[in-house]
Order: sequence, then C-alpha cells, then structure tokens
Amino acid sequence: MKKLLFAKPDLCTGCNRCSYACSAAKEGVYRPSRSRVHINNYALEGCSAPSVCFQCPGASCLKACPAIAISRNEDDVVVVDAEKCTGCGDCVSACPYGMIELNDDSCAYKCDTCDGDPVCVKECQPGALVFQEKSPEIVKIKALQMKQRSTTGTAREKRQKLGSAVMQAALETRG
Amino acid sequence: MMNLFAGKVLIVDLTTGQLSKEPLRMDWAREYWGSFGLATRYYWDAVTPDVDPLSAENALVIMPGVLTGTIVPMTGRTSMTSKSPLTGTIFNTNVGGAFGPELKFAGYDGIVIKGRSASPVFLKIVDDEVSLESAEALTGKGIFETEKSLEEAAGTPDAKCLVIGPAGEKQIPYAIVGSDAYRQMGRAGGGALFGSKNLKGIVCRGTGAVSVADMEAFQKKVTYYKETNLFDELNLGSNTDGTPILVDITNEVGVLPVRNFTQGSTPQAGKINSDAIKAVKQGDRGCATCPLACGKFTRIGDARVEGPEYEALALAGANCDVYDMETIIRYNSLCDDLGLDIMSCANTIALAMEITESGRGDLELKFGDVDFYKVVTEIALLSTERGRDLALGAKRLAEKYHSTDMSMEVKGLEIPAYDPRGNYGMGVAYATSERGACHLRAFTLFAEDPFNTSALVAEVQAMQDFSSIKWSMGFCEFWFTLDTAILADLLTVGLGEEITAEELDRAGERIWNLNRLFNVANGFTCKEDSLPEKVLKRKLENAGPAEGRVFSASDFEAAKQYYYGLRNWDENGIPSATKIAELGLEAFAS
Repeated sequence: MKKLLFAKPDLCTGCNRCSYACSAAKEGVYRPSRSRVHINNYALEGCSAPSVCFQCPGASCLKACPAIAISRNEDDVVVVDAEKCTGCGDCVSACPYGMIELNDDSCAYKCDTCDGDPVCVKECQPGALVFQEKSPEIVKIKALQMKQRSTTGTAREKRQKLGSAVMQAALETRG
Repeated sequence: MMNLFAGKVLIVDLTTGQLSKEPLRMDWAREYWGSFGLATRYYWDAVTPDVDPLSAENALVIMPGVLTGTIVPMTGRTSMTSKSPLTGTIFNTNVGGAFGPELKFAGYDGIVIKGRSASPVFLKIVDDEVSLESAEALTGKGIFETEKSLEEAAGTPDAKCLVIGPAGEKQIPYAIVGSDAYRQMGRAGGGALFGSKNLKGIVCRGTGAVSVADMEAFQKKVTYYKETNLFDELNLGSNTDGTPILVDITNEVGVLPVRNFTQGSTPQAGKINSDAIKAVKQGDRGCATCPLACGKFTRIGDARVEGPEYEALALAGANCDVYDMETIIRYNSLCDDLGLDIMSCANTIALAMEITESGRGDLELKFGDVDFYKVVTEIALLSTERGRDLALGAKRLAEKYHSTDMSMEVKGLEIPAYDPRGNYGMGVAYATSERGACHLRAFTLFAEDPFNTSALVAEVQAMQDFSSIKWSMGFCEFWFTLDTAILADLLTVGLGEEITAEELDRAGERIWNLNRLFNVANGFTCKEDSLPEKVLKRKLENAGPAEGRVFSASDFEAAKQYYYGLRNWDENGIPSATKIAELGLEAFAS
C-alpha cells in the first residue's frame, strides 16, 4: 500500500525543523516561508498544528489547473510540472487548505513527499509528522482535518482556519 | 546574499522617527560574531558608559545569533544588550521562541534603537518595509493581548513579537520583554528600557532566506552533530523533564532556596518537582529549530502556562514556602502577561515575607500563603503602597526596611535558585557576571566538589568564556556537550571559509572582557563583585551536605582574587594591559 504524509497535532512542539529542512531541500536555503509544510503555532494555547498537503483524492488544485500542469503520479502524489505552469494562480485559489502557492518566479509549488522520502518527517523528533501506510487512526485524523475546507482567503488564511480548528479539537482532547 | 549573515542592521531613532538600514560591520562580526558579542560591540559604539539607563541617550541593541535562522538545533535565540535600570551595569538578556529567525529572514542581523518617542509606538518590520506605528490603543495591555494585536498589524499570525506589558510601561526595574506569550528577555529590566523609550513592542515578519555556502554539506554536518552529540543522555533530560528536573537535584544537595534562602531543602519538594509537572502537563513546546522541546505546557483548571520552569518552582514555590502547583502556575502566567521577571519578583516577595515575619515591616505577606500571587498585579500596576515597595526589587526594598542582612542580590540583581553557600562556584559566578547574580554565564551545580574553590573558579572562567561565544551563535543553555570545535566546523561549512576553535575561544574571552571593561569604565571594581551578607555570614539550615555552611568573606575574597588572577586581571578586578593587548581591546581601556 502507498505511504502518505500525515500530521498528529497533539505531538507537534512548534519547533519548525520540518519547514527549515523542507526549504533547504527544495529551495537550497533556509526559508520556512517557502516550505511545503507549515506549522501553525498557537503559543498562548500551548499548541501547534502542522499543515500538510493531503494529496486529496479529487484534488481541487489539479482540477483547477487550466494548463494541465498538475497531475497525480504513480505514488498517488499530486505534482506540479514547472515547465507547463503559467503562474495563473487558479490552483492557489482552488486548494481549500492553503497548501499550494506561487514562488518568486510565479510558478506553483507544493509538497511532493520528496519522491517518497520526505525530509520533514526525518527532522520531526516528536513524531508529529508521519509517513506511513493508512491505518484506522490515521484515516480518522485525516478525515477530521480535511473537514476544514475554505473557499476564500489567501493560502495563509486557509491554513490558519484549518490550524485553529485542529488546535481547538486538540485542546478538547486534552480536557 | 551573504552566508549566515543577513548583511544589514536596522537603526531606529525614536526621537526623530528616522529609520535607516546600515551594512553590517563585518570587521566587528569577525571579532564578536553575533548576539551577545556583537550586540555588546554595537552597544559600546552607541553610548558612553556613564549613560543613564532610562534616558533617551541610552540605546538598545537587539541581535540574533550567527547560526540563528539555520537548522542547527537550539540556535533560535535573540539577545539584547543595554545598561540595566536594576543594576546600573551593562547587561545582555536573551529569549527563545522564534523572533530571531524571523528577523534574519526579514533581512537584518540586528536592530539598534536610540532616542525616545514622544508617544507610545511599536516598530513594524515586514521584510523591507519598516515603520513606527502608534501604540496608544495598546497602553496598559498585557503581553498576551499585545502580541495578538501586533500580529494583526503585521497582517499574519506568522509574525513574531518582542513586547512589554504594563510593568514595562511603568519602568519597573525588573520588567521583562515577552515573546511567544511565555518566553522572555527576563533578567535585569529590559522591559523598563522599552518603556522608557515609549516603545510598546516590535513585530517582525520575514519571508526571506538564510543561506549557507554548501547546503548539502551543512545539512550533513548538522545531522551528524545532532545524532552523535546532541542526542546524548546528558542533553536529553531537557526533552524528558525540562528544567523541573533540577528541583530534586538541588533539594538533594541542599541548595534549593527555602523561605528566602534560609534553608537548603524541604521535605515537600515532591509537590513541585518534575513528577508534579508531568502530572499536569499538556504537551511539550520547543523554540525554533529545537528538537528537544524543554518547554512543558501545564494546566490546572483555567490556570495555564508554558512552564513553570525550575526557577519559578523554586523561587515562587519553596522560597515562599508554597507547594501548591496551581498557585505557581497562576503566579508565572500573571508575571508573563503583565511583564515581570518571575525570578526577581519571587525573590523580592520572599524577602518581603521575611521582613514581615521578622516584624521589621508589614508588607502583609507570609511564608506559605497560597494567595501571594495576587500581589503581582499590585506590583505591575504600581496600584498599592505594597506593590510600589515590591516593585523596588530586593536591594532597594531591603534598604527601605533596614534589612540588607536578609536580601539576596548581587549588584541589585536578585539571586537565582541555587544557594551559593552549598555550591561556592555559583557564588563566584554570581559575583563576577556582568549583570549581577546570574546562573547562566557559569553553572557549577554539577561540579564534583561544590566547595573546592580553585577547581570551581577555573570552571566558572571557562564556562563564562564558552557561554560568551555560544550565545553569540544564538544557542540556548541546553546543548551541554557542545564545544568550540563543533562551532568552528559548522561555521567553516556555513561561511565557506576556515574558522578555527582557537579563534572562537579567543572571541569568547574577548567578549567577556569587553563587557567587563564597560563596567570598569562605569566605576565598577572588585568592591561590587560581592555576595550578600546572608551568604557570607548566616549559616544555611536544613541543607543536607551543605548543612551549616556559609561562604565566608575570607574564603570568598580568596576565590575572587584567584579568579582575577586566572583572568589576568589586577587585584581590583581590572583587566591588565597585557590581557587587553592580547585580546585587541586597547580602544576600550580606561
């Protein structure tokens, strides 16, 4: 079975090693703002909620791309063909979770799970990011997170909306 | 873009409102690196040593470390150098969280703040865009609410802040600068300095990058040192327990302060130790790039805080003879929000308890009172006579009540939660730190023999020098097995030019001496390198292996002179001409 990237918010400490490692691998510099994984930190509440690409079945970004630059590869991962991307940004508006954005060259970028060996997971000491085959636990976590869809706002605002909902759910679990 | 450095420093003149960006002084950076060292170098350039801390003429220099903004573990710290309103010395105070990386990503190696604004303002930095904005609407607001407001002003919750609460606005000499709600530039009054400049806070969002010469090689080095060195049993206690692990240790060796440093242990320590924290822990919290996450977030009912750390457990717990975790959490959270240093504040409250119980004054505070935390609001808002008294800090409060024999401070900075009578190294560390009683510059708790002064003094000197260079890179305390060979290796790959451990060792010593010379120029000599009367004369009680101990004046003087000798300072504690020449500090000698 294919492996997928998931986040367990109750374990995230907010350290952001994932986003440093991701930008180092993908951009060649430390630049968390251009990471493919993001951490929504709620310092006051003592909680953090990672935002990861769900590689959605029926991915909105893929459907929205007029240039057919976005496709699903053999690993079920949704990938961008930079050569074909025109930088129109339709995918950015379409993604309900804020997990695809345009870079400085107006080219869409998103998580490609590093060809099946995500660097973020290797840096996640507390085990909040996992890359594994589906399990009942993970299906449940993913379903809960995927419920928080946004149709408006910037990518950051969408991540914030999802993050806040995940944070609230985590706080309720803590009791 | 340069490697590791951003290449620019932001200069803010609050009097004129002028904001400018200057190229980083690379000649200074190669001698003083970043954060602690470089901020001190810039500070010396910005003021004269006799400057009044709370005047418009004083400057604040805020700098992250050289490695801040990279993935090197535990390098997320930012520090500020200025002159303390509590001690009158130069001081550096650092904070974790993620402000430092954000500032580097915005493109700055530091901020130099001068002057005084006519009305309350905050500094907004969004990459290249910098501005001063009105903070009138935030006057009197706590740190938690202020941070939320400033994030909104910067347009994103990813923005990071350094802000003050009402205590800072009122220039209470032990007011803090807060960040990420529960993290602080905590000691020696940085918050009062912000307040004196009418600066409510700084908010920063950076979307740029920090680069290294060879990313693949750098990443490999970092992973190597992380896995083979950092993940050592010696360091992992920060992950499993965090600082609360120290309660059982200090209690065992008799240096846990109990009842205003009257006793060195308590049978009730189990109520405030690491196990007690774990019983109310909600989760672990980490600063930027830290895989260990020493922050333990706790909650009891509606009382919550990231912490309490060891210092709060010991100083607001045992030292006030209070063993109620909810009280300590409430105390800690109130201090964090209103903007007071939990250490200085609790130490001062314990002094008030002793003054009251001895009948020398009545501050209506008694040891063991679980409601004592409510006084924090009176202090931060200066709303009562008692609050105004406590806001003086231990030194001035003791003077007012003729109780200097009871006060526990050095140069006006309240003593941390390690009684020097049970570990003489901590006494030497307190007496010789640039900012008064500080446990961070050197920490000898784990020394083999806590009373072997010559070995302890050598350890203090080595740790002070190493801390100086380690902090200049942006590290926190808790990578205990770190050394300058590792730093040199990381810098060499990061910068793309050969850096040696020897030059970093020398830089650490240079930074320590530069701080010393500032204090010397300001009239501080051996006389001020002192310990409180209580430590010198009053026998420590109920202290296990430290039972009945004092650090006698003669033993202390001998240890101090030995320290000066090791440093090649004269008997007055002034760096010798040969040491000054060796370190290239001639321009700073009086």
